[in-house]
Amino acid sequence: MHGRILVPRVADRNVYLPKRAIVQNIVEQNELVRTLHIAFEDEIYNKDFVYQSGQFMMLSMPHCGEAPISFSSSPSRPGSFSLSVRKVGKLTNAVFDLRPGDMVGVRGPYGKPFPMDDLTGCNLIFTAGGIGMAPLRSVIEFCIDNRENYGDITVLYGCKSPGDFCFREELQSWDKAGLIKIHFTVDEACEEWNGCVGLVTSLLDRLEIQDDRTKALVCGPGVMIRFVFERFIAMGLPKSEIITTLERHMKCGVGICGNCHYEEKMICTDGPVFIGSELSNLETL
Amino acid sequence: MSRTLILKKDHLLPLLRKLHKTHGLVAPVCNEYGDTIFSEIHDLDATAIDMENQPQASIKSFFFPQTETLCSYIVDMESGTGNMEYSFHPLLPENSPTVFFGVRSCDMFAVMYCDMVFLHENPKDIYYEQHRDNSIFISIGCNKPFTNCFCNATRTGPFLDAGYDLQLTDLGDRWFVETGRPRGIKLTEDWASFFTQATEADKRAQFQAELEARGLFNRLVHVDLAIKLLQESHVPDRIIEELSERCQDCGGCAYICPTCTCFNIADLKLSSDSGERIRSWDACTFEGFTRMAGNHNPIHVEKQRIRKRFLHKLQHDVEKHGRTSCVGCGRCVGMCFGGVDIIRFVDMLTAAGENGPGGQQ
Repeated sequence: MHGRILVPRVADRNVYLPKRAIVQNIVEQNELVRTLHIAFEDEIYNKDFVYQSGQFMMLSMPHCGEAPISFSSSPSRPGSFSLSVRKVGKLTNAVFDLRPGDMVGVRGPYGKPFPMDDLTGCNLIFTAGGIGMAPLRSVIEFCIDNRENYGDITVLYGCKSPGDFCFREELQSWDKAGLIKIHFTVDEACEEWNGCVGLVTSLLDRLEIQDDRTKALVCGPGVMIRFVFERFIAMGLPKSEIITTLERHMKCGVGICGNCHYEEKMICTDGPVFIGSELSNLETL
Repeated sequence: MSRTLILKKDHLLPLLRKLHKTHGLVAPVCNEYGDTIFSEIHDLDATAIDMENQPQASIKSFFFPQTETLCSYIVDMESGTGNMEYSFHPLLPENSPTVFFGVRSCDMFAVMYCDMVFLHENPKDIYYEQHRDNSIFISIGCNKPFTNCFCNATRTGPFLDAGYDLQLTDLGDRWFVETGRPRGIKLTEDWASFFTQATEADKRAQFQAELEARGLFNRLVHVDLAIKLLQESHVPDRIIEELSERCQDCGGCAYICPTCTCFNIADLKLSSDSGERIRSWDACTFEGFTRMAGNHNPIHVEKQRIRKRFLHKLQHDVEKHGRTSCVGCGRCVGMCFGGVDIIRFVDMLTAAGENGPGGQQ
């Protein structure tokens, strides 16, 4: 991928040492989700930095430690990357105090990415719940940047309420441009919503799996992933054609600390992206 | 090429004294409270090495300390640009050559396991590597296993074939010495005057001692059967639930275990603009181990907290590395006041197995 061979110094071999990076821009997705556009302070490092959709970074915030955050940007748009963060704990609360120009610490990229080569030539069905759209957005944007390589792209996106959607306008604009087909749903009816109501699985009822060149990509809460899997399997899509990305509490990100265990696997190095057939027990997602 | 030598008993201390001139020395020492603990020895003549009792903890903490600062950080909230600046400064441990003397086979084997976890992954853990580099291991085979030992069942003792630099066997008036890794061979060459060649009679005596030791185990633990049962079918829920309920969440088993390597990383705030990033031992039995931001926990702690602990050692590591990572030291048996030790788990599992899958006791 890159031609230069870098001789690592001891500091570079120190996997636990974050690199300084600058928050260039902050986009508010909704009340609880913000997207940070980030670039490394070291311009040469930034220029050489490569990652793939589905991978994640360990994000450091002062006095808050680190948290694993998936890329929500596409590797086809180099120069910076974006991490979308939901305000849910101490570290992510601190993220909401950041202003453009502030510095954060990041290390990565880590984890197994989405198998993009296997998606080439396929019809893709993305199913997302809530903040689960973030890692899928990275893939969707990548597919849009290489649109000729993919068949139909359908995006099903469910949230608790209309205020919980992320990237909504952008997804709608891609739909309008004929690049993807998007369907939104919310769990419960409310005044400001005149779209579909029901769990994201209800959107699947409208779909048919037409041929054997279809792949499904799923991300959301564990229980949602389980029900979406079950529905796809009932529709005739085998587990081997369903791809998901999981999240767990993580500390090292490189397969040593043990926190992100799932059966015999480590989510950080064996995942976070998994082919359905690799997951033995969907109950514990 | 492995060599077999003899070291006279009264030559041992002088040899350690020589090695201590250029190396740190760690050995089991009985402290004033009567506890035998692996300790760094400063004055060899004023310290008695205890080779009679099982050290309470293994040597894990010398390579993977209970708490360790990975880096310090500085936050400048109002830098020249008006933005927050944030920088990290690594604190790497010193790398000092150390002789570990009196390491039992189980603990020696555990070092090899920890090496695999910390050094064979890509990337390596350079903190562990700094502690671990330049270590010399002089291990002692166990002529007489301790009360709760079952290393015969985990195949990690009472004597080893490899892994050590030197392995000693007590032959009464003399030590039988086997060289293992290159550093051990070099040591016997550098200090050749301390050693004599082992005779055929010495080799027979060592063989005899090893044979006798194998017959002296107090515990009969069906580790192989447990591994087989776990490969064939799911562990009965009631075993996991009963042991999870008995667990008191102290983490003692993980701390005392020579092969438990899980850790936490957290920031320690020292002032509003500085702090340290600390790594510390963790335990998969702790409720917070898998708890994510927002309090979602994929593990049902009350019913499953001990599941990962036992399956990691007896199933997952077998699948991954071809062997169990329990080294049969028996320390968790002495540690747990709730009786949630690995022998109990193996006993319950094999008893259930005799009554068929999911069978009743």
